[in-house]
Amino acid sequence: MTDCKLIIESLGGWLDGELGSSDAEAIRVHLESCAACSAERRQLEKLQVSLKSLLVSDVPQIAFEPFWSGVRERITTKRSWYEGIMEWARPTFAGPGLAWTVPAVIVVLLAVFSLDSFWKLGAPRNNFAAVESIDAHGRNVALLREDETKTTVIWLYQNQEGENESSGENTETSPSF
Amino acid sequence: MESSDWELVQKCQAGEIGAFQELVSRYHQKIYVVIVGLLRNREDALEVAQETFFRAYRKIKSFQGGSSFYTWLYRIAVNISIDSQRRQKRNPLDFRETMDGVFEEQHEVARDPFSDVHDRELREKLVAAINDLTPEHKAVIILRTVEGLSYKDIGEILGCSEGTVMSRLHYARKKLQEKLSAFL
Repeated sequence: MTDCKLIIESLGGWLDGELGSSDAEAIRVHLESCAACSAERRQLEKLQVSLKSLLVSDVPQIAFEPFWSGVRERITTKRSWYEGIMEWARPTFAGPGLAWTVPAVIVVLLAVFSLDSFWKLGAPRNNFAAVESIDAHGRNVALLREDETKTTVIWLYQNQEGENESSGENTETSPSF
Repeated sequence: MESSDWELVQKCQAGEIGAFQELVSRYHQKIYVVIVGLLRNREDALEVAQETFFRAYRKIKSFQGGSSFYTWLYRIAVNISIDSQRRQKRNPLDFRETMDGVFEEQHEVARDPFSDVHDRELREKLVAAINDLTPEHKAVIILRTVEGLSYKDIGEILGCSEGTVMSRLHYARKKLQEKLSAFL
């Protein structure tokens, strides 16, 4: 582990004392001979000092009694159901929560919409045929749909001359194709 | 002899509010410092710290001792703070006021007139750089710098692996270094 890029990536962990002994020793040896990595180390140490000064030193001590009073007041004050829901919903549906909420909602919606086809699984499947006039030239169409094999047959045929379409009589017709 | 955190938690689970008061007295300052670091606003931090203990009290019966009490407490604090930060980000005016307040407060503590200018500039840049970090990157920096927590504890608090903590810390420090290169 002597590559400068790798050393710099591990410098933070090394300064934090979070590396294993062999890695830590390799970094220590490298720093003795590498000016660039040593400069990087000094920069990181300065950054740590500045951060500590900013984040820790300037924060005032807070008195316990008023703080505890505030906590106790929250404990003894009963919250409304609306606040309870908001308290639960805010972290759940904000930011990273959305990462799982959106796909979950999509899955639920898909499940709800496909429920219809699941219900049909046990029901008997019916073939059906429909005949209707499709234009003014007297052409009829017969439609045969079969669910199980997903087959649809469309049968176009022309009325015999003089046939009364609305009579409903069982007359013989010859298919046009 | 002083009771351990776990003993106090068990008493609290049995309904002793005095035990919870003792836990609050042990951790209120530490929690407050972490939240100030995350929010950069003392008043908001006080509110969030109190809310943290309130929620901890309500959930204490579900605490089984699988992790230490303080990592559990920090997890609650960090989650509320991150949530609060996101809401602040959605409201830029509040966010700017927050930062201004911090600058003014910090200016009061400077003494040496020569280091004053340099320090103030550095602090302003540092505050701006920290505020530019994502809440997750900010959280690792605060927990490591303020509390000196181990990567394992930080991982438990943030719900990620030690490797992720290390990589987030590296990225966050790199970002801060880039923005403060003139001062370091």
